[in-house]
Amino acid sequence: MGGEMRKHPTIICRCNDVTIEDVERAINEGYTDLESLRKRLRIGMGPCQGRTCIPLLIRLLARKLGKKPTEITLPVTRPPVVPIPLELFLKSKDVGGERK
Amino acid sequence: MKVNILIVGGGISGLSIAYTLAKRGIKDILVVDANYIGSGSTGRCATGIRASFTSEEHVVLMKNSIELWKKLSQPEELGKYGLQFDQGGYVWIASKEESVELFKKLVNLHNSLGVPTRVVSPEELKELVPPIRADEAKAALHDPTAGKSYVFDTLHAYIKACKELGVRIMTFTPVRKLVAGGGKVKAAVTDKGSIEADTFIVAAGSGSKKLMESIGVDIPLKNLPRHIMITEAFKPAFKPLVIDWDAGGAPYIVQTKEGNFIIAREIEEEPEQPLGSVRIDFLPKVVSAMAKWFPWIKRIRVLRYWIGYYVTSPDHHPIYGPVDEYENIYLACGYSGHGYMLAPVTGKIITEWLLDGRPSIPQAERLTLRRFKEGRLIEEFAIVG
Ligand SMILES: Cc1cc2nc3c(=O)[nH]c(=O)nc-3n(C[C@H](O)[C@H](O)[C@H](O)COP(=O)(O)OP(=O)(O)OC[C@H]3O[C@@H](n4cnc5c(N)ncnc54)[C@H](O)[C@@H]3O)c2cc1C
Ligand code: FES
Repeated sequence: MGGEMRKHPTIICRCNDVTIEDVERAINEGYTDLESLRKRLRIGMGPCQGRTCIPLLIRLLARKLGKKPTEITLPVTRPPVVPIPLELFLKSKDVGGERK
Repeated sequence: MKVNILIVGGGISGLSIAYTLAKRGIKDILVVDANYIGSGSTGRCATGIRASFTSEEHVVLMKNSIELWKKLSQPEELGKYGLQFDQGGYVWIASKEESVELFKKLVNLHNSLGVPTRVVSPEELKELVPPIRADEAKAALHDPTAGKSYVFDTLHAYIKACKELGVRIMTFTPVRKLVAGGGKVKAAVTDKGSIEADTFIVAAGSGSKKLMESIGVDIPLKNLPRHIMITEAFKPAFKPLVIDWDAGGAPYIVQTKEGNFIIAREIEEEPEQPLGSVRIDFLPKVVSAMAKWFPWIKRIRVLRYWIGYYVTSPDHHPIYGPVDEYENIYLACGYSGHGYMLAPVTGKIITEWLLDGRPSIPQAERLTLRRFKEGRLIEEFAIVG
């Protein structure tokens, strides 16, 4: 995302280069829950899995919607939470084929 | 509330149907979804699009759908809202002689139906997919018409275009049940009140079976959990979606437009398992299968792993069109893992059932619910990606 020239772009998701302006535009377009914002903008989908940006996004969204941050439904957490090198899985006993 | 057409399900199918109907001038269409748009299988899919299938019905429908994907991606249609169709192709790798023989037969079928697939050598495979280690490949089947379309851009484009054409979209509104009487469906009951409609369309993915049960119609669908993962992003490495035909569970890999690798493989699963049922053995199974072809993959990291349903019918083909019991309800479900690629043609088929009385593609007319009662099942044996 990002991409276009802005006067004062403020990065909110530094993993995926999403700005506050991107978020505000998406909210105005009707993306008013965290799951759809995440998917529309890829915010929170970077290597840190949103650890940095999702708390900021929750506050921004709550303010825009006139809600309390605690009223915002949290996004689903997907395993493995912290990125893991694929190599580690090759040591598992589950390596191997599976026939349907 | 009363509307002309109520579409239950705001996945790619529901949106495509709404868009196609609205383009033909139909007014007063409402799409309702239990959650956010794309929250069902659509947002969980691998975004692959191909015509290289193993039944006449699938090949013809997909070929039509690919033509529509190309048209939709033009600036004057949904291209202006960001829908892209990236025609990078598909390759199926065979490591057994008998699979090469099978590929030759499939190519004949595809070519006879106008899909220009080819059997290619390991050397050509390496040209199509430079970072592959192809020594164990005997040959590959290349489908140059196949491709991918980034799902959340596509959904966004459909939403924008639908709204522009006057379609209303209501999210976070589950339909609890349908109400029928006198051979007609009357209303959909939601927590926000009942919605009456002249015509109902059920495009509710894994919720379709339950919804139809509420008016006594049995649709033979199973929700099969399918596991899938995504890695961190890298620069563009190869364009086609790559499938290992001989590995069991048909492992595949595709690179997204952001550069992440999506990797999946079917593992033994029970239908109807909840979507939170993480299987720790999935990651070793899928990684080992892909590391055989792409040894460098070991050094990259997995970001996320999730599960979605293949809403599967007994013959692995979709269920399209009217039902015998009621005159004003149409089904669009049971894609068995291919509903994303079918979406444009799904819109066309359902629109034609409604407005013209029957679909213009003869193969689509065979796909009604009635085929299961009459035992006219359709054969398919390549259900992946
Ligand atoms: C891991 C995985 C990979 C896949 N890869 C591919 C691929 O590469 N190519 C491909 O073509 N297909 C693929 N598929 C299949 C594809 O995702 C589906 O076939 C397609 O998304 C179906 O779209 P849909 O709109 O019919 O259903 P869904 O996207 O499931 O939408 C149905 C919607 O209906 C809503 N709903 C359900 N019940 C109710 C109710 N009672 N009231 C209101 N709303 C309701 C749900 O919330 C949902 O949003 C894949 C699927 C999975 C799981
Ligand atoms: S800062 Fe947004 S995902 Fe890392």
